[in-house]
Amino acid sequence: MIVTYNWIKEFVDCDLPAAELSHLLTMLGLEVERMEEVGGGMDDVVVAQVVERNQHPNADKLSLCKVDDGSGGELLSIVCGAQNFKAGDKVALAKIGATLPGDFKIKRSKIRGEESFGMLCSERELALSDESSGIMILPQDFKLGVPLFNALGTKDVIFEIGLTPNRADCLSVAGVAREIAAKLGKKVHYPGLEVKETGAPIESIAQVAIDAPDLCPRYTARHITGCTLAPSPTWLANRLRDAGIRSINNIVDVTNYVLLEYGHPLHAFDFKLLSGGKIVVAAAGEGEQFHTLDGQERTLSASDLTIRDGEKAVALAGIMGGGNSEINDATTEVLLESAYFNPSAIRRTSKRLGIHTESSHRFERGTDVAGLTRALDRAAQLIAELSGGRIAKGVIDVYPEPIAPRTIPARLARINAVSGLSLTAAEVKDMFERLEFQVAETEAGVFKVQVPLFRVDLEREIDLVEEVVRLNGFEKVEATLPQASVLSDLPSPQLRLGSRIKDLLVSHGLSEVINYSFVAPTSCEKILLAEDDFRRKGVPLLNPISDELSVMRTTLLPGLLETAVKNINFRTLDLRIFEMRRIYIPSETNDLGLPDEPMCLAALFTGRRDPEGWNQAKGNLDFFDVKGIVESILDELNIGGVNYVADELDPYFHPGKACRVKSGNRELGSFGELHPSVQENYGIDQVLYYLELNFGKLIACRKEMGSAQVPSRFPSTFRDIAMLLPETTPAAEILASVKSVKADELEGVELFDLYTGGNIPKGEKSIAIRVRYGSKERTLTDDEVTKLHQRVIATLQKKLNVSFR
Amino acid sequence: MKDKLEGLLKDALAELAAASTEAGLQELRVKYLGKKGELTAVMKGLGGLTPEERPVIGQVVNTVKGQLEEAFDSRAALIREQVKNERLANERIDVTLPGRRTVTGSKHPITLVTEEICSIFSALGFGVAEGPEIEHDFYNFEALNFPKDHPARDMQDTFFVAENVLLRTHTSPVQVRTMLKQPPPVRIIAPGTVYRCDSDATHSPMFHQVEGLMVDKGITFGDLKGILTLFTSQLFGSDIGVRLRPSFFPFTEPSAEVDIACVICRGKGCRVCKETGWLEILGAGMVDPEVYRHVGYDAEQYTGFAFGMGIERIAMLKYGIADMRLLFENDLRFLKQF
Repeated sequence: MIVTYNWIKEFVDCDLPAAELSHLLTMLGLEVERMEEVGGGMDDVVVAQVVERNQHPNADKLSLCKVDDGSGGELLSIVCGAQNFKAGDKVALAKIGATLPGDFKIKRSKIRGEESFGMLCSERELALSDESSGIMILPQDFKLGVPLFNALGTKDVIFEIGLTPNRADCLSVAGVAREIAAKLGKKVHYPGLEVKETGAPIESIAQVAIDAPDLCPRYTARHITGCTLAPSPTWLANRLRDAGIRSINNIVDVTNYVLLEYGHPLHAFDFKLLSGGKIVVAAAGEGEQFHTLDGQERTLSASDLTIRDGEKAVALAGIMGGGNSEINDATTEVLLESAYFNPSAIRRTSKRLGIHTESSHRFERGTDVAGLTRALDRAAQLIAELSGGRIAKGVIDVYPEPIAPRTIPARLARINAVSGLSLTAAEVKDMFERLEFQVAETEAGVFKVQVPLFRVDLEREIDLVEEVVRLNGFEKVEATLPQASVLSDLPSPQLRLGSRIKDLLVSHGLSEVINYSFVAPTSCEKILLAEDDFRRKGVPLLNPISDELSVMRTTLLPGLLETAVKNINFRTLDLRIFEMRRIYIPSETNDLGLPDEPMCLAALFTGRRDPEGWNQAKGNLDFFDVKGIVESILDELNIGGVNYVADELDPYFHPGKACRVKSGNRELGSFGELHPSVQENYGIDQVLYYLELNFGKLIACRKEMGSAQVPSRFPSTFRDIAMLLPETTPAAEILASVKSVKADELEGVELFDLYTGGNIPKGEKSIAIRVRYGSKERTLTDDEVTKLHQRVIATLQKKLNVSFR
Repeated sequence: MKDKLEGLLKDALAELAAASTEAGLQELRVKYLGKKGELTAVMKGLGGLTPEERPVIGQVVNTVKGQLEEAFDSRAALIREQVKNERLANERIDVTLPGRRTVTGSKHPITLVTEEICSIFSALGFGVAEGPEIEHDFYNFEALNFPKDHPARDMQDTFFVAENVLLRTHTSPVQVRTMLKQPPPVRIIAPGTVYRCDSDATHSPMFHQVEGLMVDKGITFGDLKGILTLFTSQLFGSDIGVRLRPSFFPFTEPSAEVDIACVICRGKGCRVCKETGWLEILGAGMVDPEVYRHVGYDAEQYTGFAFGMGIERIAMLKYGIADMRLLFENDLRFLKQF
């Protein structure tokens, strides 16, 4: 919504500096998003007078002038090429140092041997119009030396206001002026109305009927004849231009001008094109075709409201006129409409047809049903003035059930309780009155407030509370701290532990990424999901931004892969990234049709294990780096008894280098090397490892830590065992066998070496373990340790096909 | 015998004084004090002495042995000290070579800011609540006083999943869910992901918000102002200017936008604050009675406030990020800075 300061001043006396007015509006809730001074700036272009005009001695077409710039100093010598002036004329002088539009700087210069101290300007040179046939000749009453734009009155300030949707009443210059007046305690004055009715009575010319009074409670019209279509005068065209509206002709422009001024949309029909001189406001026929004046063919439905003549639709009510009745070059007779339409009806049609106009924007927010005749009269008067038309006698006003203004009760105590202010009844009453409300205090501190019909946003007591706090000024509310009566719960374990696990992953060198929750439907294929995989049934969006972002993800893998691709393209080849976010799985049990949103933890790894450096270990990450991180997470959450199962893997994993993580029969997730086909599908040229855990299940499996253990005060003893086993024997079995020896003194076991090839027979592997023995009571003797160790060796021998080296 | 011993001592001390390495010293120690050393040889001769001579010479032997050992030890200490000093004088490394590193990770700036906001409100006694991202129209709009066919819905371009199911456009539905679950008093914040169909340098189709809600007896607009002033001073520094100005949200009344003094120009006016000196960071207001009606709270008895802020906006201000899209490009060269 754009208003200009000069226009506002026509409605309210206000001489605040523009910046202060801007602040005042913003603090009233009319946020000024942009403020721009226009038609000013060139203060070095002044009103001057030609004192002498002489022929240039060396050029036939040039004059050499003496010019008075009003400074009281010497007359200036100026060379000028224009022919349309004489001595005594007042002219626009660009002085030395002035900068004209197009960054044209005026300098002292010599033209054909004669010095020139400035330039006499044409309108075009000042970007005032395209007129360039001669210099500007100014009215004689302009004062010498005054900056030209001040003298012309074109200097103005544009305010672009970001209006909230509740303030329909401020979608006009008059509305903004009302707010300023209320804040400053002034009265709004509307331009004087003087409708010269000189034609025949309107009833003898046109008829209006409303078929759908619920959608159109009021319709008024005036008739103007003898109009001559012409371009609008500059003042009108300029105002429209400042507001961002293109000037069309002197009739259409007036309807737009009054729309901007009063916020009331009007429509002008070419009366001769209305069959039977009739207007009927009625619903469209289902499937009816209609050409709006933007040249589009529209298919209407029975819920769309139309303005019709004796035969056909002539306008889409409140949204856009029809091509069949618009103002055109041959128009001489105009029927001017000013009506009130039901906001919801206008909004439905505007949304359905995708037409948003200045008119629909206002009607769907609610217009002033009482003020529409004022707009009608103002427009009729301006059209008659500008086009030479004659206004028919009277107004057609079809208003079967007049809408009464609302009366809302309001309590002073409530106003103060909600706001924290301590206002008096008199102060509140004054504010209501400044807002043009009619107030009666029925008992002490209780008001009956009648609000004007233009305030469609005011219905309840709380709305009036806001009006008071707003007009009084938010800055006058003192900041206090609430008296709290409760302490709330701590964050849920999911949130608390989520943050801890993120810290853990960061300490392991992982960086957190955040991908969009929506993915491309093709991502399921790229990660090799089977046709019947449940993850192919992600929730689709009805109105996605693009096909690439059209389905809610069911797995974090595609997002991480896309991220990997992007980074690898930037030559970041070593990646450890994780994402802890929701996935969206359709639910058959949710009453509202909402999906489940489990929290998922996923990570992707590729590249070197250590940073590159002169003294850094070489080598790439592998499965066991990822497993180490899984183990850290499980340790952090105190989850024991986990099995790593290498079967029934998701299709995106390498079938031999991945596993599932299980705790009892709970599936916690899986990890491993990604399938080479996945790598190919994303065009990635390096091995990738992926980890995914269901965070909710992890939390469910977690155990609170028990009592802390006191470590033994006596040193432990270590014994190593090297052995040969079949290559297929899982390491877990070896460790489990050792641990199966029931002895308190067996403190732990580590697998510290694994070797195949070389002198190891084919099909076998060499494994070395280190067993730790100790007691809490004393230092174990060599004999005791040996005895225990023999038991361990015997157990290994019994349980596994093992030979010792 | 005695002369022999004294001669031996003299020779040994002379040789010792010439020894300059630990190896040379060791050789001398073997020569004089070893099992086959000269002193040992002399001592073997003690057997041939008379009982009268034996104690006398024995004492001389012991004295010589003691003197020799002491001389050896002190020479050894001297040589060790010399060797150490020499080592210290010669050993040098290039301390400017890069250190040995492990890979470092980072939390996403959105996470960092969310955690910081949550911890500030946590200290103010606010609990943390969550809700679904794919939400029903009732919670996202209806119960928050956005009637169907109302222009207020245009403020939030919505992604739809089904007729009444959508991607939540704000975290405000968590207010409704929380109030439906528990009677007043309520004091929560709700961080979360939200969606709007909009994508450019300052809008992302997915972004993050933190919602706040406090409902109790006697809560005023002044309290809202107090809590938010405290919050912004914690987040941006105690000297940051704050202002509330009137605005509109269907679920609060009175409603306010909360501005802080521009963190770039400190209120003087710059490109970031569009020359206004202020930056909008929060929307807030007193909970609208219509919301209480939907959740069954008594609007006459209870008042309260709600607020909501965009995490991206705050992260961008805190870290001087001009383009919101950077936050979702997941370029590690960018993310590793945090």
